[in-house]
Amino acid sequence: MAGATTSGSALSDADFARFTEYFYKRTGIHFSPGKRYFVDKRIDNCIRGSRYDTFASWFAALRMNDQAMLQELINQLTVNETYFLREDYQFDAMLGTVLPNVLAARGGVNRIVGPIKILSLPCSTGEEPYSIALRLLEEWEHIDHVDVEIHGADIDSDVLDKAAHASYGERSLQRVPKAWVNKYFTPVGAGRYQVDEGIRSAVTLHRMNVCDTAEMRRFREFDVIFCRNVLIYFDELSSRRAAENLYGALRPGGYLFLGHSESMSRISPIFTPARLPEGIVYQRPTGAK
Amino acid sequence: MGLVRKQAPEPEAPQVLDTDELVRRLDDPDPELRREAALELTGIPAAVPELLARVGLETEPRVRDAVLTTLAAHDSEAVAAGLAVHLASDEAGLRTAVAEALATMPGSVPALLPSLLAAPDHDVRVMTAMVLADLPHPEAKSWLVRMIAEDPHPNVVTAAIDALLPAASAEHRPVLEAAVLRFPDDPFLAFTVRAALPRLTGTA
Repeated sequence: MAGATTSGSALSDADFARFTEYFYKRTGIHFSPGKRYFVDKRIDNCIRGSRYDTFASWFAALRMNDQAMLQELINQLTVNETYFLREDYQFDAMLGTVLPNVLAARGGVNRIVGPIKILSLPCSTGEEPYSIALRLLEEWEHIDHVDVEIHGADIDSDVLDKAAHASYGERSLQRVPKAWVNKYFTPVGAGRYQVDEGIRSAVTLHRMNVCDTAEMRRFREFDVIFCRNVLIYFDELSSRRAAENLYGALRPGGYLFLGHSESMSRISPIFTPARLPEGIVYQRPTGAK
Repeated sequence: MGLVRKQAPEPEAPQVLDTDELVRRLDDPDPELRREAALELTGIPAAVPELLARVGLETEPRVRDAVLTTLAAHDSEAVAAGLAVHLASDEAGLRTAVAEALATMPGSVPALLPSLLAAPDHDVRVMTAMVLADLPHPEAKSWLVRMIAEDPHPNVVTAAIDALLPAASAEHRPVLEAAVLRFPDDPFLAFTVRAALPRLTGTA
């Protein structure tokens, strides 16, 4: 079976297999034949936006290690739809149980040294890290007494640009209380609202692949990591590697949130599951240096 | 106090160490340095013998898991064979960790199956069923069916049944029912099958 691409470049099954193997090796993201239509459409977009007119010539150039082409491809093939306060029972867990535990482990409000560090990965267009910021500012009693660093990271450079601009439509903001919108957002026209500069400037954004151990070495000593709904895109081996890298990015005792349909127990045994009132969270063992 | 932007400049990626140094670090007293070294040896064939040697020696489970993650990425028959010897280990943590690693190696595990399925130690065959439970290979279910139909040890057959059940359908009823008849004195096996049969759906 050959998949038709609108650029006129038909993708054979062998092409598809070669492409998915290449993309897997570069990113850890695996596309099964069931994703054929999705992949075909996005490859077609990439070919149309390039100076090549066939899959063969485009793929040959890609394999010559053209980083701009690879980034464009990654941007096309990663799914980025999200919204503010998504799966917010996990933010409840962060506020109600995880941060109190982190504070206690680090000496308490008055003795903590250095900021509490929170990583949102993948952060997509910024809804998750800004949601964390809003929940902390509005609902965490210690926010005026403790420094908190929020970092967002994603493999897709386009969504990071959007996260930095932080302008959102009503669909993205539908779960945000009106009072919060009035307090922390500025209308920028066409039904869109931009996160205020004070919050935008407090969130540090990074381009990064969670499967890349060398890139992930820059991330250390995080107290909390949200890594939701991304491991489901990886095969078993890439998930294991991502888990190892997330482990290395956490402090001993640090907490990892996965998506509601994801389970670390199916991926790696190196984390300790902790059952909180709000659900399961995974912890880097405190005894592990 | 409050939300603060990271004050320090964007950190440089830590220095990339050469293979010899990374291999030396596999012996470092600090388990975190050993763990990081093992991960950074990814994709370096020259490091495979050293990593394989560490599998049975490493005492920290998190370091051993990192070693196994790096080795599994090679997915070669030599690496799979080097790992499979530990399926016979007396240490439960080691043999389970190795089984989980082998389950991520669909390219190389099939070549080992004839010897694993014929291993004289039935515990190795039990662990092989665990590998097949998670192996992303189109023939995994067929191999489990073969174990259920042919293996002479009830523990192996029960392990294979456990491995098959999450993906089983009505077509597997005959082989499951035959297993009960082959081991009439094994109540656990019979209970497992009888509990599962009503849930099997699909074409018989």
